[in-house]
Formats: sequence, structure tokens, C-alpha cells
Amino acid sequence: MVQVGPEVSVALFNMLGDTEVVEAAAAALAQRMPADIDTLVTPEVKAVPLAHALSRLTGKPYVVARKTEKPYMINPVSRTVISITTGKPQLLVLDGTDVPLLKGKKVAIVDDVVSTGSTLKGLSDLITDVGGVVGAVMAVFTEGSPREDVIALGHLPLFKPE
Amino acid sequence: METYPITIGKITRHVPVVETLPGVHIPLVEIMGDVELVQAAAEALVKHLPPETDTLLTLETSPIVLAHVMSAISGKPYVVVRRKRRPYMQDPIIQEVESLTLGVTETLWLDSRMAEKLLGQNVALVFDVVSSGGTMMALEKVAKKAGANVVARLAAFHQGNSKLPITFLSEIPILQTA
Repeated sequence: MVQVGPEVSVALFNMLGDTEVVEAAAAALAQRMPADIDTLVTPEVKAVPLAHALSRLTGKPYVVARKTEKPYMINPVSRTVISITTGKPQLLVLDGTDVPLLKGKKVAIVDDVVSTGSTLKGLSDLITDVGGVVGAVMAVFTEGSPREDVIALGHLPLFKPE
Repeated sequence: METYPITIGKITRHVPVVETLPGVHIPLVEIMGDVELVQAAAEALVKHLPPETDTLLTLETSPIVLAHVMSAISGKPYVVVRRKRRPYMQDPIIQEVESLTLGVTETLWLDSRMAEKLLGQNVALVFDVVSSGGTMMALEKVAKKAGANVVARLAAFHQGNSKLPITFLSEIPILQTA
């Protein structure tokens, strides 16, 4: 449990390095993924193994939205969101070379936890910017208020600090 | 766009060639997003894991997918060293990377709760690309600070001419313009 505000604690779910949990979550999400999805998009870093496993299981390609612009990127596209974990502005960047996987495609956003939805909003805007259509949002957990718009395997409430 | 063929097992990719310094061109390898290439590399690298290996140790971002698939195949857990301090970290291990190339300083971070998983363990370091070896040496120092014993240094690709004590699957050249 980690306190993130004067009246709020959250359960810290970090599946990075937990191969069993990631593979089980990917298998469960693969079954619930809408059939018309063409491409998966995930934010760097923690959800990357989940997207990789989901891509392997479904045969759909995946694209990683990076947190920094890389020198080798060609025509990168970016958005700034406010990160829930740090409270600071966070850049989300797509490499222009990945745009053909998104333009005119049905895209599923894949994340570990969808909480306030700020990352989600940033990713949705990015995908729309490059001509893609967000067809689904898939996460292991939703957090805070339940969300009907997210295909999730579980829900994490917010807690009052002891 | 100029490309260069890279191969792992039966998988070949024609990757873009980028100019990193004037006159210096390198084939740009990105394994993240390439499920087939990662699968082929993981299957080949797992065969080089010493039997006494307990845990895989890697760092963000792109080698994570390789470590994940190697973990799924071998049944051995993996730990990810971060390149940024995360707000939840408590008493992290902090290690500077001595970069030989651009003189850019970088820092590796490992939360103490993750470091505990490495104490007394035999670890194999996992990379996608090793070039100068500076990052590899920094990761090795993180492992030692956590009380682990490094038993293997594995990489999918080795780039450049440095002689490093690593096991790799494929060599990528540095291309010089005449």
C-alpha cells in the first residue's frame, strides 16, 4: 500500500517481472478482445510485457508509446499528460515509422492499471491524431471509480490511509 | 531508406541504418514490437543459460520483452532495473553508467524490495544489444550491490569491435562512410 495524497492510498500493483501473472492476464484478455482489432498500443514501461504476450497470443502487432523522444525516431508524434504516479507532466511519443500500423486501423489500448484515465486520454488522442480509431481499452485492473469503457480483469478500490 | 539485414535463427529483418555521428552509420535494432524475433532470440539464449542460474536480470525498456519470454520458456523469474527513480522506491540501489560513447551520464535504479530478490542468487544478465559494454558493467555492479553472483552475460546482438565477455547470437557492424 502506498499513500499518494492526504486522504488516499492505493494498492501498488507491479507485475513487471511476474511472468506467470502477465501470461495469465494476457490469456484472459485475449479471449475478451474484440475480433475487429488490428493493432495494440501500450505505454512504456510496465505494460510492455503484457502487450507483447497479448500480441503473441492474438497475432496482432503492438506499438509502444515511449516516454521520451528517441534520436532515431522519424517524424515522431507526441502528447503530454499528467502522470498519476508522479503528478508531473509526462510525454507520450509514437515513432512515425509505426504510424502505418495505426492509420485507418482499429486499435486496442493495453495497460496494466487504468486509474484516472489521464494516460488513456493521452494515448487515445495520439491514436486519433495519426488517423487510428480506438476500438477497445484493455487493462488488468481498473482503479478508483469503476469504468464501463474498459475491458478489465479486476478492480482496485482507493483506500484511506491508516 | 538504407537498410541492413540482421538474422537470428530463421528470422531475418531488414533494419534501418542511421547515422549516429558524422560518418558513422549503425543498423538500428528494435526488438520491442517484434514477437517473432524476440521468440527466436529467447529460445536461442535460453540454451546458453547456465543450469545454476536462479534469476534473470535486465533493464528497461526494450530488453524487458526478451527477458519476459526467456522467463516464460525457462521458468526462471526476472528482475527489471529502472533508468529513472520511481516514486514508490524505498532505499534503492543507485548506479551510475560510465558511457564511453557520448559522455551522457545515466543512472540505474533498483528498488530495495526488488534487490532483496537477488540476494545470494545466481543471475544471468539479459540484453538486446551490447555495444560499448558500459551499461552491462553498470548492471553487473547493481547485481553485486544486491548480493547476487553474475553467472552469465547474454545478448541477442553485439555491436562494434569491443572484446567483451558476453554470449551473443548475432554481430552487428558499425558502418563507416569512406
